[in-house]
Amino acid sequence: MRINDMKNKKMTRKGQLQMTETIAILFIFFILLLFGVIFYFRYQKIAFQEKQEELLAARAMESTLKALFMPELICSRGEAEPEDNCLDVLKLNATQETIQQYLDEYYFEIFSYATITVQETYPENKMWVLYDKPKPEFTRKEPTFFVVTLRDELAGTEQPEYGFGYVSVTVYS
Amino acid sequence: MEVTFNWVYILIAGAVILLFFVGLVARQKTVSEERLSGEVVEIMSSILAGAGVSEKTKNFIDASGLADYTLYFQCLDGVSEFGIKDRPARTQNSIDPIFAPHEVRSSRIVTWSLPYAMPFKVMDFLFIIPSNVKYYVMGNDADFVNEFLNSTEGIERIYVQGLPQIEPEENLQVRIIDTSGTVIPGSNVPVQLQSFEDEEVSAVVFTGANQVDFYQKQGSSWKKNNLNPLRVISLPGERDAAKYAAIFAADDQLYWCNMNKALIRMEILTKVYGGEEVAYGEAGGKLGELINYYKDDISSDCRGHLEQYNENALDALTKLSHATSACRLQQGSCADLIDAADMLKKINDKLRVSCSVSLY
Repeated sequence: MRINDMKNKKMTRKGQLQMTETIAILFIFFILLLFGVIFYFRYQKIAFQEKQEELLAARAMESTLKALFMPELICSRGEAEPEDNCLDVLKLNATQETIQQYLDEYYFEIFSYATITVQETYPENKMWVLYDKPKPEFTRKEPTFFVVTLRDELAGTEQPEYGFGYVSVTVYS
Repeated sequence: MEVTFNWVYILIAGAVILLFFVGLVARQKTVSEERLSGEVVEIMSSILAGAGVSEKTKNFIDASGLADYTLYFQCLDGVSEFGIKDRPARTQNSIDPIFAPHEVRSSRIVTWSLPYAMPFKVMDFLFIIPSNVKYYVMGNDADFVNEFLNSTEGIERIYVQGLPQIEPEENLQVRIIDTSGTVIPGSNVPVQLQSFEDEEVSAVVFTGANQVDFYQKQGSSWKKNNLNPLRVISLPGERDAAKYAAIFAADDQLYWCNMNKALIRMEILTKVYGGEEVAYGEAGGKLGELINYYKDDISSDCRGHLEQYNENALDALTKLSHATSACRLQQGSCADLIDAADMLKKINDKLRVSCSVSLY
């Protein structure tokens, strides 16, 4: 009888030990699983942010490209090729109003949430805000600058006068 | 008994684990395919955006990696859609005109952009030309035939005397360009093309007075897609973007839908040049600034060309503004648009010569 009791006690202790061991293994397993899940989601979050930044940079370049080649702004020369990297000052004055008028209905599809300005640096310091639609509560913005010449056909005597400036395109996300 | 139970348990657990991994792989496959198609659409959009602004350039895109995918292009109610067939990734655009076949499955794609001017530059037209489409040029318009052959190097095209001379190649779709409207109307599909699928053979026919018709093979005969002839809205001259657009557009519907985008931009541009008030015959915009500058110069030719002579820029721009709106609503009015654009072009030339300034 005593021997049996001792045997049972020994077995129960052995069972308890195995149970603790199993719980410990399970605990470590779940801890590792949790680490894995946390690591995966953090990686996904960083990858998503990187992708967003990449897309924003691409959109900034694309918007700058589109702004520089807009027929509303370029220095056209009749049927000849337009002048490279040149904006027409007389068109800039007019385009400011027109873009404002068709901003939501037309130009938003081209530039989305962005601000486009042209800053003259020589001979004067005039600034034209062509497009201004910042994203409400934006989290990130990416400005891009591009140097251009500014042609004023009414300023020169025989030939149009050229100034310098830059186009600033800021996109938001 | 205990041993048997363990085996069943292990078998079930194993099956569940296996199923989990099979599900995971299947899900990942779908996700990566969707991601890939999204990236393809994104890259293609960037290529098209770049090609669209770099005017008069042809880009040869190696699309061998996309040979298993079918790209589709459509345009409905002024909105173009481009994507990969049977995949969720797609992009819509209501601004840039893209003239392309409805479906493209090719290892090489040519993108070509041409500026559209009426008479001032309106926008760049982008043509998508897959390498598996062969263009057969025929008809009596020798000038256009020569111009087309010279300007389309790198594209599968050939001049043939008539329909019997067509020698179709396998795996190539066929588009016939009838430059004078003397070949396709009233004729049957040539015997050598009758074995082709109907959607693989089409024709674009230019008739007198700057008009175009689109035909599709239907068995052994030609079916005209458009009820009324469409007008090619352009000024005479080389590299006529609107005419080339008709050649590379899938059909009349895609052509007119994209042309409409150009007309919308044109309406806006007339406001840049003439201001909002140009619709009422008053000058604003760039024209207003020019008139204001020359207002004290009573005897000047410049003021005359701008607003005083019988043919002046203000009248021409007002006419152009009205004609653009009318043409958008009714194709029959597009002839007036061409006349108004031609008049403005002449006045602009005079302004350049006599005043060293120009409207555009």
